[in-house]
This record gives sequence, C-alpha cells and structure tokens, in this order.
Amino acid sequence: MQDNQSNPRARLPLWAAHERLALWTTRLPLLAAVLLGGVACTVQALEQVEPLSLKALVGKRMFFDPALSGSGKMSCATCHDPNNAYAPANGLALQMGGARLDQSGPRAVPSLRYKDNTPPYADLADNPDGVSAPGPGGGFMQDGRADTLAAQAKLPLLSFNEMANKSAADVVAKMKRADYREQFLQAFGAAALDDTKLAFDYAAEALQAFQKEDISFHPFTSKYDLYNSNKIGGDLTPAEARGLRVFLDPNKGNCFACHYSGAGLNGSVALFTDFSYAAIGVPRNTKEQPAGAARPGHAPVYDLGICGRDDHAGPKNKQYCGMFKTPTLRNVATRKVFFHNGQIKSLTEALRFYNTRDTQPALWYPKVNRRVRKFDDLPAPYQPNIDAQAPLDGRKAGSKPPMTDEDLKDLEAFLDILTDGYVVPAKQAAQQTAK
Amino acid sequence: MRKQSIQKATPFRVTLISAAVAGALLTAAPAFAAVSVKGVVAGSYFTPPVNSDTPGQAVPSSTVPSVYAGAKVCFDLNDNGVCETGEPTAISKADGSFLLSSPTLAALVAEVPVTATNAGHPVTQRLVFRAVADQVAAGRASPLMPASVAVTPLSTEVARLMEDNSTDYATASADLAERLEMPVADALADPSKVADLGVQADLLAESVVLTDRFTLAAKMFDRGDAGAATVKASQQAAMNVEGIPRYDHIFIVMLENKATLSIKSTGYAPKINQWLNSGNQFSTYFATGNPSEPNYTALGGADDFGITDDSQWNCGATGANAIKDLPEPTSSRPGLASSPFTSPCSGSVNHNITGHPNLFNALSSHGMQWRTYSESINPGQDFRTDSVADANVKVADNVYAPGTLHGNTTPVGNPNLLLPLPAGLYKTKHHPGMAYQNVRSAPEFISSNRTLGGGQWDSVLLSSTKYTAPSGYNLDQFSADLQSGDIGQINFVVPDQCDDMHGIGVSGKDSVTGATQNAGDCSSVSNNFGANGVLAGGNIITRGDNYTDYLVNKIQSSPVWSNRNKRVAVVLMFDEGNATSGFNSCCGWNPGNSNVAKPLKQNPDGTFSIDTTVAGYTSGNRGHGNSIFGVLTNQPNAPKGIVDSDAYSHFSFVRTLQDMFGLADPKVDGSYMNRSKYTESFIAANILNLPEYAGSADTHFDSVRPMNHGYVIPAAYTAKQSADINTPAQVGPDGNQINVWSLK
Repeated sequence: MQDNQSNPRARLPLWAAHERLALWTTRLPLLAAVLLGGVACTVQALEQVEPLSLKALVGKRMFFDPALSGSGKMSCATCHDPNNAYAPANGLALQMGGARLDQSGPRAVPSLRYKDNTPPYADLADNPDGVSAPGPGGGFMQDGRADTLAAQAKLPLLSFNEMANKSAADVVAKMKRADYREQFLQAFGAAALDDTKLAFDYAAEALQAFQKEDISFHPFTSKYDLYNSNKIGGDLTPAEARGLRVFLDPNKGNCFACHYSGAGLNGSVALFTDFSYAAIGVPRNTKEQPAGAARPGHAPVYDLGICGRDDHAGPKNKQYCGMFKTPTLRNVATRKVFFHNGQIKSLTEALRFYNTRDTQPALWYPKVNRRVRKFDDLPAPYQPNIDAQAPLDGRKAGSKPPMTDEDLKDLEAFLDILTDGYVVPAKQAAQQTAK
Repeated sequence: MRKQSIQKATPFRVTLISAAVAGALLTAAPAFAAVSVKGVVAGSYFTPPVNSDTPGQAVPSSTVPSVYAGAKVCFDLNDNGVCETGEPTAISKADGSFLLSSPTLAALVAEVPVTATNAGHPVTQRLVFRAVADQVAAGRASPLMPASVAVTPLSTEVARLMEDNSTDYATASADLAERLEMPVADALADPSKVADLGVQADLLAESVVLTDRFTLAAKMFDRGDAGAATVKASQQAAMNVEGIPRYDHIFIVMLENKATLSIKSTGYAPKINQWLNSGNQFSTYFATGNPSEPNYTALGGADDFGITDDSQWNCGATGANAIKDLPEPTSSRPGLASSPFTSPCSGSVNHNITGHPNLFNALSSHGMQWRTYSESINPGQDFRTDSVADANVKVADNVYAPGTLHGNTTPVGNPNLLLPLPAGLYKTKHHPGMAYQNVRSAPEFISSNRTLGGGQWDSVLLSSTKYTAPSGYNLDQFSADLQSGDIGQINFVVPDQCDDMHGIGVSGKDSVTGATQNAGDCSSVSNNFGANGVLAGGNIITRGDNYTDYLVNKIQSSPVWSNRNKRVAVVLMFDEGNATSGFNSCCGWNPGNSNVAKPLKQNPDGTFSIDTTVAGYTSGNRGHGNSIFGVLTNQPNAPKGIVDSDAYSHFSFVRTLQDMFGLADPKVDGSYMNRSKYTESFIAANILNLPEYAGSADTHFDSVRPMNHGYVIPAAYTAKQSADINTPAQVGPDGNQINVWSLK
C-alpha cells in the first residue's frame, strides 16, 4: 500500500486520517478487489462490471462456435481473435474462408474493439470532433454498409469467402442443433427459432449484445487511458509526450484530424477515430488479392470502398470512390497488417507511408514506363477524391516530408501506449506518487 | 405591481438619520442611561413547498408573519451575542412580546431554543437574533415610555452589517432598507405590523432567507466550526459559506460551444474580452458533458445522469421515470397544433430525471426564486417544446458595417436578404431545469420561464400565427423584470441559437435577385475555432459577442444593478468547449472512459451507497473541455482583474451557487446535490462506492470544491488543461488568492 504522505497533494491532516485514502490516491486494485467482493475497480484492473444479459451470453457462445460456418471450422473468433484485440494474430493481408477455407476474404480484417459508439452511416454525418464539416461517416464494415453491429454480423456469416453459410436458414438450422439452443430460446422466447427471418435477426442481435456488453470489446486499459483519466501510472515518457505532440500537430502528424482523440459521441472519449471516411491512395496489394480481383485477360478489379456498395453505385456517387472508414488506432501496435487491403505490414511502415507518400512516391508505388504510378489502386477518375489533409497534403515529390525520423519514432512510441492491457510497472507507480 | 407602491430610497435615509441622531442624543444623556424595552421577537414562518415529480402533489411554499414564543431575550451587557447570568433576561410570551429593563443601554439578544415556538410551530434548530443598542435607543419615542423594538432576522442583519462593514447603525439600517427598497421603519418592523402587503411580502422573503442563514450560523457556532467561535463570527460565517459571499441575484448568461481560445485568441469577440478583462475570471473552467443537454442538466443539478445527447426530455422515460407532467405538449393538444414535440420517444437512457435534487427545487425550498429567460420563443408556445419555423415572419439579414466584424473593410451581411423565422431558435436542451421532472412539475415552472428580448425576429414575432399569443404578451419580460425587480435569485439568461454562438441553418431569399442565401451570421462554426490558425466563418462569434454586450449593458443599466446595496453578479459562460485532446473535465467528472461510475444515494443513517437505478449512468459526466468564465459584479469596492486558475467544473459552480444562496451546509456532505458533494474528503470517505476515482494521480483535480480561490497551487504543479486553451499551462500558484466573488 502506498503511504499517503508520499502524495504531494495530500498535505491536509484530513488525508492522513483516512485509511481509505490510499485507494483514492494510489493504485490498489488488489485491495479494491478484496473489498468489492472480487470486482476490481481501477482502470488497470478493469473487469466486467455488469453481468452479461442472456442475449449477450448466448451471443458469446455463438461468437466462438465454429459450427456456425460452412466449413464447420470457422467462428467469428477465428479472425477476430480475442487474444489479439479481436483482430487476426497472423500476418495475412486477407484471411482465408469459404466452405473449404480456400477463399481469400475481401479485405484485411479489422479489430472489433471500440465499435459500440459507431453511429449508422450517413453521407453527411456530423463529425464528433465538433470541428470538421459533415461528411461520409459512421456505419460498420470498411465501407459502412451495415448500420448496426447486428446488421454487420449477418454479412460475414453469409459471405461466400468468409463463414460461407448458404443462407439465413442454414445458420438457423445450425442454431437449432447447437448446445446453446435452450439458452437462445430463453433469451429470445420459446418460438425464437421458428421463423427463419426472425431467428436470424435474433442471432445477429445476440452477437451484437455480446460485443456491446462484454468489456473485452472496450476495455480502455491502455497506458493512454491512465494518462487521460488522471490515474497513477499515466505519466508519459518524454518520447511518448513528444509523440503525442506529433500526433496532434496539424503540420506534422495531424493524426487526430481523423483518428480523433477528444470527447465524442455518447460520452465516449478518445476513441481515436471520428468514424469518417477518406481516400488516401493506399498502394495496390498485388500479392494478396481477393478472388477475382486480378484475372488474366480481364481488367483489374478495384476495391472502391463506399461506392462499391449497392446503394452508393453509379456516377452520382463517384465522389465516394476510394473512401474507406477510419479505424480506431487503439491497439494499432498489435496489428500485423494495415489499411483495407493489408498492403502495409508494420506500424513503422504505415507511418512512413503517411510521411513519404507524396515526397517519395517511388517508395510506395510501381513504376510504369519509368514513371511512378501514384495511387495505383484507384482509377484516375476517382483520384480527385484523395484527401488533402496533412500529412497527406499532396506536397511535391522531393520536398521535405512533414515529419522527421525522430518524429516518426516518437509517434510510434505514442501509438504503442494505445495498446490495452497495460500494467503499470511497480517502480513507475511508486515514482509518480513520490514525486 | 407592488413596486409601484414603493417610493424612492433616498428619503428613507433622511428619516433614518434623524432617528439615529435622536438615538445618539439619548444615549449621550446620563439621565436616560437606564432603559426599558417593550419588544417583540418576530419574523416569518415559512412552509416549504412540496416538491414532487407529480404535478398534482406539488404544493407551493407559503410564508406568514410570525412571532417567537419562549425565546430568551436579554440585554447583552458584554455584547457577546449570548444571554448570560447577570444580564437582564425575559422570556417572550405567546404573542412574542417581552418586557425588559436594564440600568444601561445595551444590545438585545434573543436566543430561540428548540423549546420555543414560531407562529405556534416548534422550532427545530436553535438560533439567535439580535438588535443593536442604537436600535433600542432609536425605539424610544419618549423618555417616559419603554422603547419599542422588534428583534427580528432583519434587526440581526443590521447588527451583522455593522460588524462586517464597520459602519454605524444609521448606515447599516439605511443600506438594508435601500437593498430591500422599503422604509427603514418597515425593514426593522415586526412584519405583522407592516400594512403595505407588497412591502410585507418583500420583508417576509428576506426574513425567510435570513432565518435560514442565522439557523446555519447557530449550527456552526454549536458545532465549533472554524471561524464560528463567537455568535457574531458565526453570523458572518453563515453569510460567507465556504468563502462564497451571499449575493442577491446572479445572472448566468449561457453561451454555446466555444473553447477558450475561440473567444480569447481570434479577435471575433472583442466585447466579451473587454468584459473579461474589466471583471474577474476563472481561467481553467471545464464543461462536464457533451453535447448541450448534459451540460445544462449538470448546471441545473450537478449531474447529467448518463445523458450524452440532446434528445427530448421524454426519451427513454419509462417505468419509474415515466412522464408525469401530462398531457405532453404534442400537436394533438388544443392550441399546440404547431408543436414539434414527438411522443413517445424510445431510448435506452432516460432523459426524464426523477426524484433528484436540483437548484430549482432547492431555491424554492428555501423561499427563493429562479428564472430562465429565453430568447426567440414562439409567442404562445409551450415552454417544454422547441420553437418552430414560421415562413411568414421575416426580417432582414444583419449587416455589419466596416470595422465591426473582425476588422472587416466592407459590410458583412445582405440587407436585401429576407430571413424567415427558423425552427429551433429556442431549444429545450438549453434549459437547465428541463430534464428534471420535479422542476417541470413545480407550481412555479410556468411563471418562472420567461421571455428574453433583443432577438433578430422580435420586431415581427408577434405576427406569427403558429400559436395564439396570450393578450398582453411581452416578448421581453427580462427588460420588464429588470425594471420592476421581479427577478429570481438565480437567473439563467439563455440567448437563442444564433445569439448564443451555437449556429443553425437560417436561409432566405434576396428580395432583389431572388437568390436563396444563408444568413450572414448564424452559420455554425467549430467549437475550437481558430485552433489551427485558420480563421473563416467566425461571424457568429461576433454576433454572440454583440448580443452578450447588449445583455450586460441592459443588466448594468437596470435599477437592480445600480442599487449597490443589492449584491448582483453576471456570469458569462459557455456550456462546453471542445477538448479535441488533453483533459476533458475535472472536479467531479467521470474520468476517461471509466465504466464503473454509479450515482450515490444517502441512506437513512446518513451513509452513502450505490444507486443502481440509473441505466447508462456511467457514460455521462465525462466532460468537453475548457471555455471562458467571466464574473462581473455591481459592487464598487470589489476587486477587479482577478484570475483564479484553479480547475473548476459545472459541478464546482453548482456547489458555489449552493453556498452563495445558502442552500447547503458545508459540514453536511449530503446537503450538496448530486455530484457537487464530491469533495476530496467525501471521495476519500466513499471511495469504495466511487470506483471511478480509484488510483487518482491528482486528487485535487478530480474533486469538487467551491470556486473560492482558496487552494494555493503548489509551486511545481503544471495546470491540467485541454487543447481548448492555447496558452502554455501555468506552473505554480496564482499571483494572489483573492476570491473572484469578493464583495469588497
């Protein structure tokens, strides 16, 4: 237990008299856990506070059930690995799915963490930052096609190159055979599996409930959370503090312009996304492509993001072509592949892309006839959609990049503290209380 | 109405001086040294309102003149505020009267014990009234007759004023009478003897407040509170709770959504900056929620109860939270065909706060009044609905001459542009009491919500046909009330969504070209406008700046303000800033994304435990950055130019208001509403029920305190702030610790 005398602010006699003071001013999850009957209460030891509802409990069973797939071998958790921030732990740009697990999925798999405050998609969504003009924002999947987590859950279940169930009826039939069938009926009613459409809706609702309620989907246990919520252990190192400045500097990283770190919707804070969409011209991933993207004798197929959606097709939606959703940067350091097509393989490389896409495009794009073919994954008519904000501000090749190598190192150090599950080193906690 | 019967204050002082001179002559003459008094211990009996969520069960308060029977009255020969052995003593009779003689003239003390009665009702807390010796002397009409003296809360206040200001009886009693705008004789009379019912009502209102204060004083004295070691000291302390002096009126001007830097650094708000610099400021003031509704709700009662959006007050209101001020003001109601109110409204978070304390109920419970003054409401609309558009009510776009808008060289605005009245100039999300069921159900709710003039559409607003305006409808009750003095103790002054800098879509047609065009000065601009050095679209800030200046000037040219014996403050503040980075809030906030916060309830034994009934609570109270907070007072001797940089939040402000109006007892945590009780010591004592504060790295920052500049910032401490402040964080203490609210 920390001695309260070591806290510089605790100079009032009042404090010395209070035995519970230590909980207030120091890091004591253990004692808290004991006193609260096993429920730890500090940020560092965040645990499920509210018990999961019946719907969420059955959703949890479904989430981990490989029987709910065409292959019988793939559950939600196969790609959305709970031990890796609900994102793949491997380095594949595209995960393998389908009835025989031999089909590449359509896009790099995102983390399922911190989705619960995402609003439905709108072409003119209000930006949660209170600064940016309304624009495309919100929705689930990287093109926003699903309005809710429930709607989203149905898509991979039925997608031929993911979980590859034949139909909603196919999923419901499997649910009827599942050993959590009774639990499901308890949660949604005795007739919940009788009508296929309703049953499939309930299944999606269960998966949504699990993701919304289970704290593992939004643990907020990073070092940044300690910093941002005034907790012991949240003191930034000099490199992290410099990195935060790069992150916020509109002329350097300008990261927060999209990976918004302020107060947001529904009381959320620091989600590191504003749910907006941007076309940033990620290079084409020619090595790892979804089935049919590059067939000999056929024109290449481009993933056009929002305007690839049925409801956003055609010339009148061309201003949305190439735009993909801004992901949260929480747990970004645990990712193995980056951007919608997984072309970039490390955080260091991703930051370099932001810094030198324009100043050294040859590092990123192929040469055709000795000329760099910039934005090779976005057809020319859509290239005006490319976002012009710093650091991707379209500066000239050969000009000075927005960030120095030191800036990049610092920025990466900062992004490292967005990883959940941070444990304050005992020494650091002691130092912070003592200083 | 009653104000018409009041004469100018000046003649009272003349009357009084002659009385005082007479008194001085009497005391100076040895032959008259012996004194007898036939007096009365009198005051007021206040029946508090019944605050209820159900309108039918809510009952207004009432006050009657009263006498205290069974009070121990003495000549306080040693002038210590206590009746002691050897001092001539009497017990007041059933009619409150007493007869006392003393060989020497002295002050009177009336100790009212719990065995006494007030208007026949048992007194529940001991208290002490006084009347100074000069008042006794002045009460002697003839040397042969006993002096006639009413020992009342107001006579006590005169004694306190004399001690506080080192003034004589003549000055103090004249000051008090001038403050109340009544003759001295009435101010110091037994209230039952005051014939003019208007004057009596004013007298009783003050008597109720003073009785409360002197009751608190006796508690402080009996407990041995610091600074309350003597009766006299305790009566001073009760007027300065937690260092916050009593004010008569406060006007809280509510502006919208601008970070500190948007106002201080852009040049679009020169007038507000002038007011800030000419008055006092809190420079590290934090919002507590995001967006508007949680902030206004927090300003009304120091909690947002998990509200994190601007939804209508009936949203998610089911079960125990079901709406009780029925029928709801929907368009199906007679006279409300234009109402935009939708019902029902689903939602997982309840927006109808039920059974929780707030400033509105607290004021009425203590015999005081509140007002909201809202601009640009539709004449005849229900106050519980947003205002609606009216295509037939048109005015010209505002035009800013060169040099009046951020150094413009050509006029800004189009005089040919005709703008129809837009919807939502008035929004219920901007009413600090709207979310509280027991406020909407209060008997005074309708009469306390009033209109505020100065709006762009005022000149044509009465021609609107959307609702039927009552006859004699006044678009600017605020101006009328400033003249008559019929204002509240707490007055929320709420400009419309153009004048408050919020911004909404307002467009019309150019009467010459026929082109559709937006209003020149009501387009929304980002909360942290100018943060990146980019300045465009700040017109609405200048519009709000002009309107704020209009309001301040209006208040400052009112009789309320120019009566320096009334203590009047104007607060210029914003509901929220932006907090794109850095700290979102402080001082009672729900830190970070903590998912463990629950409201507390007080148990019958006085302890606190978790209240599990508020769904979604944990997402609330997370803050939204820094904005300016200016304080102007009408006190000529008050210090100016004070900057208090300690961290404060809406919860601190609500605590401050409770102190300012005597609504709480600083030694009783539970007497402070909702999160305003979360002081450092309270959190420490209740940390197991307040897990959101576990592991705090800076307990001062996390906890609530009154805005009294009492905390000396440690030398090496770097201020915590959000990106809404673009000046470097201060290191170390402020230049002085002078209280922003100081009266002198």
